[in-house]
Amino acid sequence: MASFTPALPREGERARPVLAWVPMRGDWILLALYAVGFWLAHGVAAPWGGTGYYSLWFPAAGVRLALLWRGGARLTIAAALVELLVDTIDGAVDPFGADRVLAIIGVVRPVVAYGLTVAAIRWLASGARAELLTAPMPFGLAAVLAPNMAALAALPQALLRPELTGVAGAHDVLLSLSDFAVGDLLGTLIVAPPLLWIADRLASREIPNFALRKAALAEAVGVLLASLLIAGTFTAAGLGLQPMPVLLATVWIGLRFGRAPAWMALVLVVALVLPQTAGATAAAARLQIHLALATVVVAGYLAGSFADAQAHARADLSRRDRLLFQAERLKTLRAMSVAVIHEVSQPLSTLAIEARHLHELSVGADPEIAAGAALIDRKAHALSDLVRRLRRFGGSAADQPSALPVSALLDTVSGLAQAEAKAARVRLEIDPGDPDLLVFAQEVELAQAAVNLVRNAVHACDDGVVRVDALKREEQVVISVHNRCAVRPRGAAGMGVGLLVARAIVEAHGGRIERQDADGLITHSILLPLAGEP
Amino acid sequence: MTDNPAVYVVDDDGDLGASVARLLTRHGYAAEPFSDPAPLLAIYAQSPAHCIVTDIMMGDIDGFGFADQLRRIDPAVAIVFMTAWPTTANAVDSVRRYGGLDYLEKPLDEDRLLAAVGEGVAWSRGRRAALARTAHLTPRERQVFELLVQGHPNKVVADRLGLSPKTVEDHRAAVLAKTGTNGLAQLIALAS
Repeated sequence: MASFTPALPREGERARPVLAWVPMRGDWILLALYAVGFWLAHGVAAPWGGTGYYSLWFPAAGVRLALLWRGGARLTIAAALVELLVDTIDGAVDPFGADRVLAIIGVVRPVVAYGLTVAAIRWLASGARAELLTAPMPFGLAAVLAPNMAALAALPQALLRPELTGVAGAHDVLLSLSDFAVGDLLGTLIVAPPLLWIADRLASREIPNFALRKAALAEAVGVLLASLLIAGTFTAAGLGLQPMPVLLATVWIGLRFGRAPAWMALVLVVALVLPQTAGATAAAARLQIHLALATVVVAGYLAGSFADAQAHARADLSRRDRLLFQAERLKTLRAMSVAVIHEVSQPLSTLAIEARHLHELSVGADPEIAAGAALIDRKAHALSDLVRRLRRFGGSAADQPSALPVSALLDTVSGLAQAEAKAARVRLEIDPGDPDLLVFAQEVELAQAAVNLVRNAVHACDDGVVRVDALKREEQVVISVHNRCAVRPRGAAGMGVGLLVARAIVEAHGGRIERQDADGLITHSILLPLAGEP
Repeated sequence: MTDNPAVYVVDDDGDLGASVARLLTRHGYAAEPFSDPAPLLAIYAQSPAHCIVTDIMMGDIDGFGFADQLRRIDPAVAIVFMTAWPTTANAVDSVRRYGGLDYLEKPLDEDRLLAAVGEGVAWSRGRRAALARTAHLTPRERQVFELLVQGHPNKVVADRLGLSPKTVEDHRAAVLAKTGTNGLAQLIALAS
């Protein structure tokens, strides 16, 4: 979320509204997995069930949050239908019974509450507001807020039709909703994180660091054991179940080592407590214990998330610093290049004039002399062209945007990127397309955007070929850079600034950059509005 | 002195100046290189040229300052600028403020240089011919000439100069005779 590598929209995503309730092709597998996971989790929860709520330990909530967090809030309706289906098969809900409407609402309501919470947190963590919520804090907040929102959403029905859930009176309503929230909280915080980590792992995304150094591991285990010992001593001394020592221990572990170790500590604690509260424990005592457990879990997980968010922010900051240094160095380099270009252009002028004259004189002379003179003339001219092009590219004065033939642009790109491609042993295939294709653009800037994409492709290229082409699609010009690519870019990878800069330039031109992956072929496309007829 | 149009090339890089001068000589110009504008300014009044090709970034006097001084000596010389540090602002200035005919970027585009010099020589010749034709007017005739080419009728000219319309009529005839023109339109063309 706080990464510098911009997430580019994939082909097809733009065409859909933000909340497209109908599942897409890839979602069906996810939903099928969800049905199985929800059913299993539901079964696991049964021993902690009670009156007026489903369970004081509700892992299905975690499965639900994981689905909505990964698939997006747009899957809310689909998730609700899946739950309805599973509950019907299970016999938990009778969609044809007398109270079917309320029963269905009872199933759908928490899902919608979860979906809305996920959407709200996602919104808060996006765009300019992202500064407030560094990853992984958004997920931590969603995991804590969603169960509470779901419990609150159940309040009206609990007050209006208490008999449906078999509770009566304000005390019972409060108790049942607390049970509900606590069960869901334990579920979201214990079950959703590992599911998301597995999904991230499968998608080759970054996952938190589980491997602690020996000293850190000893510290974490020591703190946790000591806290359990103290809590046990309190209980043995007749002071009841005191969550404070364990809470402090998990917060300690979270703040020191991040959310993965904190989560493991919490799993340990939950695994120690849950078997004791399963089955025939008195409802009030069980709620007490689970409330304490939920407190520990919330505090511990949020502490871990906070530490990870801090680490992310620090990493981003040092990355920004490095970018700044790099920018400063580039500025100096640019000034030096301009000076070099000036120094070169002076003698080159002389060389080019004399070479041409020599070439003209040598016509009819000894063939070897003539060929040599012709070669010198040609090279001097190629060099002059190069110097002129470099100077245009390095110049600071921004020209006015003008109608620019795409073929001319690609010609410039070819001239600027060819040398680097050759050095990387990559063949650059440029197909300029229709010569009448025009865009309204600032040439140097747009060339830079395209060169950045080509350079990225060259460095990520696997099979030694980068292809560039341009075509017209509806009222747009699409300039595409194709390369075959391994997961790991070879060679010294850049800092992701190239793409960032390219995107900023293209967006300033009223266009956008899209990325499309198909069978290992990666295509970055610059889409720009087509300029008027020539 | 031959009839070939005279061109001076000024560049603090002596090699480049000489090279450009030789190139122009090959194309039929009497071209001469200078690596410093000062000596050229010193001899210019004695041997004026049709066209000056000058660098902009030079030692003591830059190309623009040089152009200003040159214009004061000879309003009928064409100036072509060349530079290794092209900027949009300089390009605009060189044409609008300093009456440059073109603004050439180094490394030089030979064809464009030749085209610019050719155009400059033609312009300079026309300008010189026009100046030569008005050179023999008396001060009074020049006053009449200048008001006439601004489009004023004889009566207004007479009023402005405090002369009688008949006298203005005589001056007008003299101006037409001395400049070899036959009408106001040709006079205006001469003045522009």
